[in-house]
Amino acid sequence: MEKLSKTARIYLAVVFIILYAPIFYLIFYSFNSGGTMSSFEGFTLEHYAAVFNDTRLIIIVLNTVIIALLSALISTAIGVLGAIGIVFIRNRKMRNAVLSLNTILIVSPDVIIGASFLILFTMIGIKLGFASVLISHIAFSIPIVVIMVLPKLMEMSDSLIDAATDLGASKRDILTRVILPYIKPGIFAGFFLALTYSLDDFAVTFFVTGNGFATLSVEIYSMARAGITLTINALSALIFLVTLGLVLGYYFFNNRTRLTIRPPGGGN
Amino acid sequence: MKDLIRASLAIIVISGVLMYVVSLLEDTSSAGGGGTINVYNWGEYIDPELVSQFEEETGITVIYETFDSNEAMMTKIEQDGTTYDVAMPSEYAIEKMKESDLLHPIDLNKITNLENIDPYFLDLPFDPGNEYSIPYFWGTVGIAFNPSLLEGQTFETWDDLWDPTLEQEVILVDSAREVIGMGLNSLGYSLNSTDMGELREATDKLKTLGPNVKAIIGDEIVEMMRREEAAVALTWSGQAADMMWINENIDYSVPEEGSNLWFDNMIIPKTADNVDGAHEFINFMLDAEVAAQNADYVGYSTPNQAALELMDPEVTGDERFYPTEEMRERLEVYENLGLEMLGVYNELFLEFKMDMEK
Repeated sequence: MEKLSKTARIYLAVVFIILYAPIFYLIFYSFNSGGTMSSFEGFTLEHYAAVFNDTRLIIIVLNTVIIALLSALISTAIGVLGAIGIVFIRNRKMRNAVLSLNTILIVSPDVIIGASFLILFTMIGIKLGFASVLISHIAFSIPIVVIMVLPKLMEMSDSLIDAATDLGASKRDILTRVILPYIKPGIFAGFFLALTYSLDDFAVTFFVTGNGFATLSVEIYSMARAGITLTINALSALIFLVTLGLVLGYYFFNNRTRLTIRPPGGGN
Repeated sequence: MKDLIRASLAIIVISGVLMYVVSLLEDTSSAGGGGTINVYNWGEYIDPELVSQFEEETGITVIYETFDSNEAMMTKIEQDGTTYDVAMPSEYAIEKMKESDLLHPIDLNKITNLENIDPYFLDLPFDPGNEYSIPYFWGTVGIAFNPSLLEGQTFETWDDLWDPTLEQEVILVDSAREVIGMGLNSLGYSLNSTDMGELREATDKLKTLGPNVKAIIGDEIVEMMRREEAAVALTWSGQAADMMWINENIDYSVPEEGSNLWFDNMIIPKTADNVDGAHEFINFMLDAEVAAQNADYVGYSTPNQAALELMDPEVTGDERFYPTEEMRERLEVYENLGLEMLGVYNELFLEFKMDMEK
């Protein structure tokens, strides 16, 4: 790749600084002993201690993670099968129609999805809580997984499947030994994207939480009503670190799989 | 394929472990035994220590959840998917909930601590005989101002806001009833007025305030006043107390023409599961010592007479937050004006805001 010119690099640096400045500003003040975000008085870790002393807050954080992991897992399973189904639709018009229906779910506002879930759950009598949040998170993650997996499936050559059939593979073998290994990077990408979507979703979750069950975004929102306390800053800093770890983990994984696919002897 | 199965198993195991940890934490944070109650309150509106104390004393586990507006709370309760046992709405919301039959009557025989409450706060027009609600906190609407940014202006009357020296200095809270009510009060009318002539006059007067208005915003008011980005704000007493907590320069005044007196109350929603537990919780919150500690933590004014005697006289003697009965006579409680009138208020407020943009 060509080296970036000096102006391009400066431009890039400025953009990144602008994008990250608010987060670092927030993290910086999480160490403030002054108690507000207006003036920095001294270094303290008491806000972090406050986070860990608040059992309710920790339960909420853990619940948020559980919901994210489970909803991402289940939606990945459903989404991958859905994507494979869509690719194998022979009729072009039909396939495009199904794809558009999938896209509509991604672009439609979260608020509308959330409100319709609230109405649905109360109509069929599901109590608001863990189950309602999990179901709605799975639902809004599935289209995202489909979109992430589809390109990999599209780029896969039909001849691979033909070859497998010729060699006597059953339909099950084709799925587990040809298709799934080939689209694995797409599956993991879909999983991680669903995970982050679930972790930071506010609008949908806001409608379907209840009965003492809350996720982090909803809880921070209600805490912020009484003015931002620095506990929120400390918590946000911790979450930023975890997210950073997740992203690094994702790239690590991605690189490793790319390395294994690379043909032997092929350098840069 | 193996990778995928291994990854899925790992995720399931991790979730399982986390769920186990959550159940452990939930057990340790509750005394267990006496059942559970769900409490639905405003954010930062109770001292968390009191919740633990209640759990220890009664063995009832409290599941605590917060909301950010009366409307959000009512929607959740109306939707029937929840089982909140105690909630803390404002008075106009109680009237609305009563109309929609969302409230469970309170058995006053079980609320033995009711005698601690100042009779002034009982039997109010929004709930005669306290059939459905028990007072929790109360406050006023007034003017928060920062004398260090001003040139000696005071705010004895609403008309002081119209002072030409205050150009671009005044923040208004983004709420139709507060702003229109202020306009009505400044003309000496009731802030529950339904007379179109009075309302028109008030709106026209508000429009002349335009040049002084810096912004019409919500909860950000507190932060702006603390940082001295604005000098004067129309706000609630509780928010003013929040500002003063951080910035000691700020002062608060309720103009003499009158203003709004508001109450947040404890209620039992119709959907409650543990009605006895809810009564116990309400009774506990009315205990003199508990109420005093709570008022100390939250910073709003408590209606609990017995608690006042236990609190710092410097706080309870502060007439800005505990106006005397004589001063309270000038204050009015919002009445439920009905949907149609509320629409008129919103329309006029919008007209005022649109006029500002010219």
